[in-house]
Amino acid sequence: MVTIENLTKYYGNNRAVNNISFTINDNEILGFLGPNGAGKSTTMNMIAGYLPMTGGNVKICGVDITKDPVKAKSKIGYLPEIPPVYPDMRVKEYLSFCAGLKGVPRSRRKEDIQRVMELLKIKDVQDKLIKNLSKGYKQRVGFAQAILGDPEFIILDEPTVGLDPNQVVEVRNIIKDLKKKHSVIFSSHILSEVSEVCDRVVIINKGDIRAIDTIENLEKTFNVKQTFHIRVKGAKSTAASIAETHKGVKELISVDDEAGDITHITVLLEGDADEIRSGIMQELLANNIMIVEMFTDKPDLEDVFINLINKPAKKGGLMDLVDEIVPEDESKAPVSEDDNDTAGKEDKE
Amino acid sequence: MFSIYKKELQSFFYTPFAYALTALFMLLFTYMFNTSIGNVENPVFMFSFTEIFYNVIFYFIFIIPIMTMRTYADERKFGTEVLLMSSPVSVLKIVLAKFFANITVFIFMILGSTLFPIVTSNYGEVVMSQLICAYIGFFCWGAMFIALGMLISSFTENSIIAGIIGELAMFIFLFIDDFSMTDFISQYPKIQSALYAFAAQPRFAFFSQGFIRLSDLVFFASAIIVLLTWNYLSLEKRRWNRG
Repeated sequence: MVTIENLTKYYGNNRAVNNISFTINDNEILGFLGPNGAGKSTTMNMIAGYLPMTGGNVKICGVDITKDPVKAKSKIGYLPEIPPVYPDMRVKEYLSFCAGLKGVPRSRRKEDIQRVMELLKIKDVQDKLIKNLSKGYKQRVGFAQAILGDPEFIILDEPTVGLDPNQVVEVRNIIKDLKKKHSVIFSSHILSEVSEVCDRVVIINKGDIRAIDTIENLEKTFNVKQTFHIRVKGAKSTAASIAETHKGVKELISVDDEAGDITHITVLLEGDADEIRSGIMQELLANNIMIVEMFTDKPDLEDVFINLINKPAKKGGLMDLVDEIVPEDESKAPVSEDDNDTAGKEDKE
Repeated sequence: MFSIYKKELQSFFYTPFAYALTALFMLLFTYMFNTSIGNVENPVFMFSFTEIFYNVIFYFIFIIPIMTMRTYADERKFGTEVLLMSSPVSVLKIVLAKFFANITVFIFMILGSTLFPIVTSNYGEVVMSQLICAYIGFFCWGAMFIALGMLISSFTENSIIAGIIGELAMFIFLFIDDFSMTDFISQYPKIQSALYAFAAQPRFAFFSQGFIRLSDLVFFASAIIVLLTWNYLSLEKRRWNRG
């Protein structure tokens, strides 16, 4: 288990990471999500022990990375944003160097190198100079280096950048497989990727944590309010009043006339959307109103993400963030550690 | 630590780098050897190997920064510094591994120059004891400048800049004793003695005359230790100042 507590990083007066705390459990893949410049790589570098932190601490399986760096680092496999490869080395040579660097016992080195090369499908380029490899291959060589020696904790900083769609799928599957034996933290700015691979996500922007939760919970939270569209033919006022007064409808957003005597009614739903939808439909049919079309705008996870990261950090956890979908001006109020921790609980309540 | 050492050596010997440097060194040595041996009949000149070392060191000083300029600068350029720093190897071991790798290349170069005394001994007499002393002195001097060159490489991520600043630093160190002897500095005996204390050339002179003095060995050893410690501090400081 990896514990990150009150991690803070200043670059001069510039705050890159602000007091963030979370844990990565055993056999868990944690997604670390944020736009470019959110502080993802800085955080990753601090967890890996490359950058010193301004404040806070990181414990890898109980070992503090600043107090016993060598022991803590021996438990980590790290793939930074730019794969750390030597252009003048051959792939196999490089992996052998990395195995030595990570202290993989001599007797196990050869088979371990074979294992990672097979896993990442780089066996066919093992004798090539790294500088002659394509970006995708370099990325995979860097990945291979990170899982050499079977470290307990693996840090992957945007591992799929620069890969073609086929390779992306392969790499995602490898990451999923890693879960069986390792804990993984995996950063990305692509939400769909994270939602496919990760058990939980941490969403970060401008150094502040915006949410820590499972993908399902995030989705659920954001689906609490749904925009429901009904297009009916004729009987405009009756239809509008049915839609507005039906139980579970929070608000009537608009009633628009469209060509061919069709009315487009938009309402905001709250609660169990399926039940409300069928209730409205039944009532409309009971009043002999002809329904042309019914559909719901389901908030896309991508929207959830965009909304979350565009919000200024605010006290009160996830629910408050959800309530404020409309973007506001940048006013920074620091998120305290407690708020982040309660975020998950609140939305389950 | 050994794996870093091995990797460094590979980067020297799997590329033309070490060979090109050695060839350049041999070229300089041959040139000096030829001009000296050409004067062997001349009663004013005296031919000795230590004399060649003395002359060659001026040029040799410029080879060392070329050798050391990539030490840390390239790691930064390729982003591989992260790999070293996030691996379970302490920074001190990284510094030492790189230092020993450079020393190994340096020894490789020196070995090339032993060809000349060997050939000469076939045709005349070589004063071996003095020659060995000169080699020891030459080695100490080189090792000290390697530590200095590495330190300069740790300041930047551009190896060319590290090379140029390195040349400048070597130049200053080479002439610091001449400088301390100038009339201007002689007016201030304290400054003069302080500057002179840093001069490596007079210490090398003792070696080349066949003296191994403890004080000279201590001078070179302490200079190397201080410079390597600065290497370590510089790497750590860069981590803290990044951004």
